[in-house]
Amino acid sequence: MPPKDSSSAGGGDTKNRRKKDEYLSEEDLALKQQLEVYVKTVHDSDPGLQKAALESLRQEIQYSNKLYDFSSKAIKVLASSFRNATGKLLADILSILAFTMSSEGEREILKYKLLGSEGDVGLWGHDYVRNLTVAIVQEYERRQIEKDPIVDLMDLVEKIVAFHMKHNAEPEAVDLLMEVEDLYLLLDHVDSVNYKRACLYLASLAKYFENHVYAHAYIIYMQFEEFPRALQIALYFDAIENARDVITSCNDILKKQQLCFIIARHGVAFDLDEVMCEEDEERKGMQQIISNAKLSEGYLTLARDIEVMEPKSPEDIYKSHLLDGRARSGESSNSARQNLAAIFVNAFVNAGFGQDKLLIGPAKASSGDSSTSWLFKHKEHAKASAAASLGMIMLWDVDCGLAQIDKYSYSSDPHIIAGALLGVGIVNCRVKHDCDPAYALLADYVHNKESSIRIGAIMGLGIAYAGAQDEKITRMLTSIIQDAKESLDVIVFSAISVGLVQMRSGNKEVARAIIFVLKNLNDSELGEPLNRLLPLGLGLLYLQMEGSVNATAESLRRSDKRIGQYCYMTLISCAYAGTGDVLKVQHFLDKCTQRCKKGKSYHGPAVLGIAMVAMAEELGLEMAIRSLEHLLQYGEQNIRTAVPLALGLLCISNPKVNVTNTLRRLSHDGDTEVAMAAIVSLGLIGAGTNNARIAGLLRNLSTYYYRDPDLLFCVRIAQGLVHLGKGLLTLSPYHSERFLLSPISLAGLVIVLHACLDLKAIILEEYHYVLYFLVLAIQPRMLMTVDENLKPLSVPVHVGQAVDVGQAGCPKTITGFQTLSTPILLSAGERAELATERYVPLSPILEGFVILKENTDYKE
Amino acid sequence: MPTVSVKWQKELLSNVEIDTSQSPYVFKCQLYDLTGVPPERQKIMVKGGLLKDDADWSTLGVKEGQKFMMMGTADEIVKPPEKGPVFAEDIPEEEQVIHVGHSAGLFNLGNTCYMNSTVQCLHSVPDLKSALIKYPPPVRSNEVDQTSHLLTVATRDLFNDLDKNVKPVAPMRFLTELRKKYPQFAQLHNGVYMQQDAEECWTQLIYTLSQSLKSPSSSEGLDTVKRLFGIDLVSRVHCPESGEESTETESVYSLKCHISQEVNHLHEGLKHGLKSELEKASPSLGRSALYLKDSRINDLPRYLTVQFVRFFWKRESNQKAKILRKVDYPLELDVYDFCSDDLRKRLEVPRRILRDEEGKKLGLKTREKNSGSSSTDNDVKMAEAEASSNRSGDSSKNEQVEDAPEKEKALTGIYDLVAVLTHKGRSADSGHYVAWVKQENGKWIQFDDDNPIPQREEDITRLSGGGDWHMAYICMYKARDVPM
Repeated sequence: MPPKDSSSAGGGDTKNRRKKDEYLSEEDLALKQQLEVYVKTVHDSDPGLQKAALESLRQEIQYSNKLYDFSSKAIKVLASSFRNATGKLLADILSILAFTMSSEGEREILKYKLLGSEGDVGLWGHDYVRNLTVAIVQEYERRQIEKDPIVDLMDLVEKIVAFHMKHNAEPEAVDLLMEVEDLYLLLDHVDSVNYKRACLYLASLAKYFENHVYAHAYIIYMQFEEFPRALQIALYFDAIENARDVITSCNDILKKQQLCFIIARHGVAFDLDEVMCEEDEERKGMQQIISNAKLSEGYLTLARDIEVMEPKSPEDIYKSHLLDGRARSGESSNSARQNLAAIFVNAFVNAGFGQDKLLIGPAKASSGDSSTSWLFKHKEHAKASAAASLGMIMLWDVDCGLAQIDKYSYSSDPHIIAGALLGVGIVNCRVKHDCDPAYALLADYVHNKESSIRIGAIMGLGIAYAGAQDEKITRMLTSIIQDAKESLDVIVFSAISVGLVQMRSGNKEVARAIIFVLKNLNDSELGEPLNRLLPLGLGLLYLQMEGSVNATAESLRRSDKRIGQYCYMTLISCAYAGTGDVLKVQHFLDKCTQRCKKGKSYHGPAVLGIAMVAMAEELGLEMAIRSLEHLLQYGEQNIRTAVPLALGLLCISNPKVNVTNTLRRLSHDGDTEVAMAAIVSLGLIGAGTNNARIAGLLRNLSTYYYRDPDLLFCVRIAQGLVHLGKGLLTLSPYHSERFLLSPISLAGLVIVLHACLDLKAIILEEYHYVLYFLVLAIQPRMLMTVDENLKPLSVPVHVGQAVDVGQAGCPKTITGFQTLSTPILLSAGERAELATERYVPLSPILEGFVILKENTDYKE
Repeated sequence: MPTVSVKWQKELLSNVEIDTSQSPYVFKCQLYDLTGVPPERQKIMVKGGLLKDDADWSTLGVKEGQKFMMMGTADEIVKPPEKGPVFAEDIPEEEQVIHVGHSAGLFNLGNTCYMNSTVQCLHSVPDLKSALIKYPPPVRSNEVDQTSHLLTVATRDLFNDLDKNVKPVAPMRFLTELRKKYPQFAQLHNGVYMQQDAEECWTQLIYTLSQSLKSPSSSEGLDTVKRLFGIDLVSRVHCPESGEESTETESVYSLKCHISQEVNHLHEGLKHGLKSELEKASPSLGRSALYLKDSRINDLPRYLTVQFVRFFWKRESNQKAKILRKVDYPLELDVYDFCSDDLRKRLEVPRRILRDEEGKKLGLKTREKNSGSSSTDNDVKMAEAEASSNRSGDSSKNEQVEDAPEKEKALTGIYDLVAVLTHKGRSADSGHYVAWVKQENGKWIQFDDDNPIPQREEDITRLSGGGDWHMAYICMYKARDVPM
């Protein structure tokens, strides 16, 4: 606001208050008379006098705060005089007077402003500008409809934007530009002071608007060399070209390495070339970072720092001693189902640690005997899962992991070979070794005569090369899909694997092959529960590709009466996953209300679709949770089964209290399928959190269901998930302050959830190893700070709940923080901030690996 | 000859020379020397797959300083064990019982939870089971009528079924026999079998079994059921008006716990139950007078049954109404207070032994006490000898030959809770009966008809009433004995 005039405000104030209601004070009266004189003078014929009068009138108005009595009369007088005495000065005054009293919808403020001088728009303060903005927006709309020119309007807009950007009011500027649909104007007005806030606002808007908003943020970030942010936006659009530009534009090797860490966390295939990095050695180092070669090392450093290296046995997780009197006494008995559960729990809990108490640990202690017995304590296909669990335990450590698994590939038991092959794939998940061992080891087995071995190799390839878009593997797997003589389960796993490899490519040839299989399924094959993964393989090809799926989806829906709808739902849900598209959510909700004929249910993928689409941002997520509650009350049985799984996806690794309560209620549901899904989902929402409440709930469930082996198995799996990696890991596909969605992680989760739609027939029967697809989503939830040589560096950091509020000018990013020293764990919704100024982080987002540079300005 | 480096696990073998004129097998042999991994177990990654033994080096284009990765271990190949493990899923059902740790549930055949809970409680008495297995004896006494005989056989078979099955059992035959023997259990109401009083069922069943299991060899003697459940009472009947006094003895199968305003604990209830007033003709006064009857326990059973008198006939509602008052009962019951002086004397020594044993267990016994107790030790021994001679003198003729090992065990008057039969609801003929039984492994199981649910011991004492939750109706205690 303009400064108040002391003569009118200060002295007259007390007097004024006394007589306020009856009549004006003497000073006011004087002022009024003075103004009237000015107004009269304006009518004077002498232009010089006129101008002087206007100038004094303007000053009087600007410094006085008692305009209101005066303005109504003055505006009439002045407006009438305006016609004869044209003058920009007068128009200015009329504009401000109109601001004080003009009624809504007349837009006189704008009318006169446009006629007025082109001087400083901020002369009359923020309030005036705000009103002017409203008028502009209304006028803009009108002109758009009537197709009038808008040039003069845009000049004014530019002035206002410039004014806002100078005065810490970036949101207002962005809002105005959004309204007049010309964000490019913003680029001229950002500077090193305000670009951050402008982009922050742009980014938060973009979630609810069209994505092109991000493009502007990208340009601004590039302009100000905020490369990590620019890279994130490029990754958000899956715009690899832009990502290359970012790396090319970045000149600092350390910063480049930091960018590589971001790419590695996101998990996309990315090859560096000479343009991006000229130095051979440096490029090699960067490529290593992108291929996650350091992941295992960093993770183990974290584990050692937190002191959780000691391997845990399943019994440490079950904690049956806490259930005295209720626990099962005959624990010593050999139940095949429970042994399998123990294998999964062991694999999940010790994931990535390289040691355990069932398989590897005892082998070292007593030369193999007891270890073999645990591996062989299973029936048939369960042995495959047991052998594959080695891969999970050795996760990311390619060198040691392969050595550990290798010996099992010489076994005489085909299931163990299959498991070993799958294990090879798991070890190589997200890690790309220079020697490319996964392909070398697995390729030969893809055409093995045992179908179980084929499945192991195919699944292994899918996991190891997810998102790699490798041509050789694609060809190999597509030929299997096209092979009419191949058994259905091998085809299904090939479809999933090829979908993973060619994720987000929309590869036509692969799509055609899968569609051909889908259309030619005979009726008995249609009944196969595993079939539901076939359309999903197709869906992965179009993951997050939005519109480009429409033609395929529509044609499938039309052409096939039996499973067309099911395929359609799966494809659409995959294509729009993580977009937050409200229309799609409504579409799925609508589909859930329609009854479908027996055996042709498409409700499962529709319900999961709600979660997949709505998981994009917090608000939509909350709304989806509420909508799912309603489905639970009114939905049919197959909807009710899918709802817990959808909840599990929405809150993955983020145990919200309300969702935990809903799932707890459902875990006692009369319908076992619903109960099982709810139990597994309890594991998913608590995955890697060690959440005490969920752990307690599951312990109680383990006694409640102790007589039902199926449900008990689900409880055990969930227990394993809650303690995933002893609480150091997460399954959340979102990272970088919940901005980026890792497509690989999402794919892994969706595959498992689709399999869980028919838990009884898939997971509880012979295809339990589908659970290993979860490995695609497994990531450490850590902040690891490293120095310039990429060696761990411990620094103090504040860790607290992430917020995006605070005073204008200094946004607060966290609240209720604790100070810890790195490496640390970050929970869902938490954010870290460096607590020392000695170092400067090279990425604004403190997650995963962050390189710290010494602050040269730092003084003790 | 190019030199390459080979990465093997975490090691890096540098400067390995390749003789490109020879087959890769030679190269593998070189590596065998370095690592000890036999050539056939080596897997070497080259571009496009694994290095084959007969591959041609020239096509592979090996460069100077190239890095290979080798996989393979010298470890033994894991062989499957010759005999696979046996899984619980494959074990026949009879053997599964051992793993499950408790016996099967019983299906409700239409308001038969009173019977199911009774059967489950009695089923937990191993001595009763062993007695039933021997039934019928080679020589059947004629005293047992046909219906009793059939009911006993049905009980035996049902107990047998319960032991053998994991899945719930339908007690069809037993129910039919029970209704044949006691037609009151076949009462119909609106065409449906009515809910019955579990206590009645319990009493009748025990009675029948006591009749049929009476050993024919001892003519008037002690039968098994009596030995297991029978309580001998000696009562002093006293008329305060005339000062007359007489002594009566009787044998009952359960103690009654009367519930009145001042009863809060089982102990008080039992005390109440042992005292009663009765009106009878007094010979000295020549008219009927009020007598006070004061009973004491004269002989203890192995299994003490306590019935909470929770139901009374309410005329206005025409049903057996329930007293909801909370009456606590302990997991360990000491009946010493209710014993007659004679019995107390007999119990003294075993009780002391028990106390000592427990003291030892808790480590209470100090060295000082040990050294100074040689004389008391002698005392104990003498007392023991006395007691045993007493006891054998008392009961030698009654004891069966096969019970010989049990002779060495003496009762102490201390009892542990082993089974509780509870009722939920407002009257005896409605609501729901459930049995809570301690298994041999020490775990408690709630048998809610066909559904056995594991329970915690501390929850068992919470069945003491005072609300609408299950409340104890019949408690069965097992004697804690000491070897003599």
